[in-house]
Amino acid sequence: MQNVAMDVSFWILQCLNALQYAMLLFLLSVGLTVIFGLLNFVNLAHASLYMLGAYLGISLAALTGSFWWALLIAPLLVMGIGAGLYFTLIARLRTAGPMNQVLVTFGLIFVFLDLVRIGWGDIALGLAAPPALSGTLHFLGINYPSYRLFIIGLGGTVMAGMWFILARTQIGAMIRASVENTDMAAALGIDVSRLFFLVFCCGCALAGLAGVAAAPILSATTTMGITILIPTMIVVVIGGLGSLEGAILGSLIIGFIDVFGAVLMPSFSALLTYALLAAVLVWRPHGLIAARG
Amino acid sequence: MFYQSPLRTITLIAALCFLAIYASFGSYFAREIVIEIIILAILAISLDFCAGFGGMVSLCHGAMMGIAAYFYGMMSVKLGWGLTASAGIGLAAAVIFAGCVGWVTARISGIFFIMATLAFGQMAYTIFFRWRWLGGDDGMGGMRRFDLSAWGVNLNDGLIFTFWALGILLLVYILSALLLRSGFGRSLSGIHANEGRMQALGINTATIRTQAMAFSGLMAGLAGILAAQHTFYISPELLVWTLSGEVLLVVILGGIGTLVGPIIGAILLVLMKHSISAYTDYWHIFVGLVLIFAVLSGGRGIFGQGEYWWQKYMRGQHA
Repeated sequence: MQNVAMDVSFWILQCLNALQYAMLLFLLSVGLTVIFGLLNFVNLAHASLYMLGAYLGISLAALTGSFWWALLIAPLLVMGIGAGLYFTLIARLRTAGPMNQVLVTFGLIFVFLDLVRIGWGDIALGLAAPPALSGTLHFLGINYPSYRLFIIGLGGTVMAGMWFILARTQIGAMIRASVENTDMAAALGIDVSRLFFLVFCCGCALAGLAGVAAAPILSATTTMGITILIPTMIVVVIGGLGSLEGAILGSLIIGFIDVFGAVLMPSFSALLTYALLAAVLVWRPHGLIAARG
Repeated sequence: MFYQSPLRTITLIAALCFLAIYASFGSYFAREIVIEIIILAILAISLDFCAGFGGMVSLCHGAMMGIAAYFYGMMSVKLGWGLTASAGIGLAAAVIFAGCVGWVTARISGIFFIMATLAFGQMAYTIFFRWRWLGGDDGMGGMRRFDLSAWGVNLNDGLIFTFWALGILLLVYILSALLLRSGFGRSLSGIHANEGRMQALGINTATIRTQAMAFSGLMAGLAGILAAQHTFYISPELLVWTLSGEVLLVVILGGIGTLVGPIIGAILLVLMKHSISAYTDYWHIFVGLVLIFAVLSGGRGIFGQGEYWWQKYMRGQHA
């Protein structure tokens, strides 16, 4: 009996780990996917904003002495950077085709990478979890760090909030209409370009939020953006570019495959996600839940 | 449609002469730079072949190169095969990989094509990164250069190896130019311009796209074997997607769809990288800014822009 109980708690632990990773991926991919669905824009630099969020969060936490202020202000700063990008580059690249978008945002990755190295140096920086969340919680026969539970809760809250905004409010209806058919939405009197800007800023803020939230778990490094970019893009493509449900489904799939793959067959875990992506692209090129009918 | 215009021929000859002179009269370090340029240029021509003329913007060209390098290393170092046979296996592996990617993605375009090639490239990267037998993330050493002593050529001499690489670059250019001017190349350009119309004409566009990717893989494979023989060492870093992104940068910088532009782009990028890194450790930021500028300034690239002005000037002369 003892053995079985240990087994069960081990799997509960892995499920929570997978869920926590999935929530982090969700925070990143939801912004990316809505920006793509609405603006038809592929922003590879989205992950750089995540990295900036982490570094800004660390500096803000040192400045204000509180993790919570960092969690609040850093996403707003990242949103400001995103707004700056929107006016200088993104707006004029919207119709430029995927290759140019990929190239320019690939260039931005390089620029942000070196800006962070100049500003914060090459050493990995850590961020302490807030005192209230630094312990572990005991439940279902396991001990689990309360900060990781907080991330699961944060992701869940954002998920619920996003669903509520998109499904139940007028602005959500406007966003959905614009994803479905931009020209028709504009013809119906929706100020599409203002909506674009708003959604882009919110996506950037979520990337910054994910960065701050991730900093206490995975310390901030200059490669963290490039490392998380690929899984995030995979989530977005598997789920279906532009779809909220797709981002949720994709994050959960990749989160669970990654964590359980690492436990069950360590040598193939990374391969599994790529194989899944290839399979989805071949059989359902527009993702599991396509945004446009 | 590809034309080998006199301007392109002159630029090609000038670029090759520059590399030859720079290597002949420069130091050991200059020859290293020239070989780095040549490898990048071959890879960029290979990408220009499918991206510039077939519209297939691939982010797995680094993987094609790396696969050839790894199979060359695996056959010659681990299994003790002859160098020529190993090189053949390496090239075949790159061609098969590229062909498979091309075949699977034949019905995908735009951002989905870019993502799919990124995924396949990262898949290959992950395999070699994890494969302990081939050194895993430490990479693998012990590759040797071809033994051409029967012809009185010693490739272990730095300068001779540079000229050997230069010859391969010229060969790759000529092969691509010939192929692009053939019926196959015209069909490929037709698919780029309007795939639906080519299908309506009864052309199997999936086959053409697959063949174009496979040929591109052959050229990328040549770059891979050259890279393995150059440093006697290979690592999974050859396959990582950011390298493929850099190759795309070279193509854009020089001029996409011009075939000679990528050589100019490779010369510029490598020289720029080395001259900036002499002053500061932060060369990424310059590369990034150059890339952004190259795209925003019209995306024709340096050679493409020059050619555009030249053609405009010539039209003015005749009018």
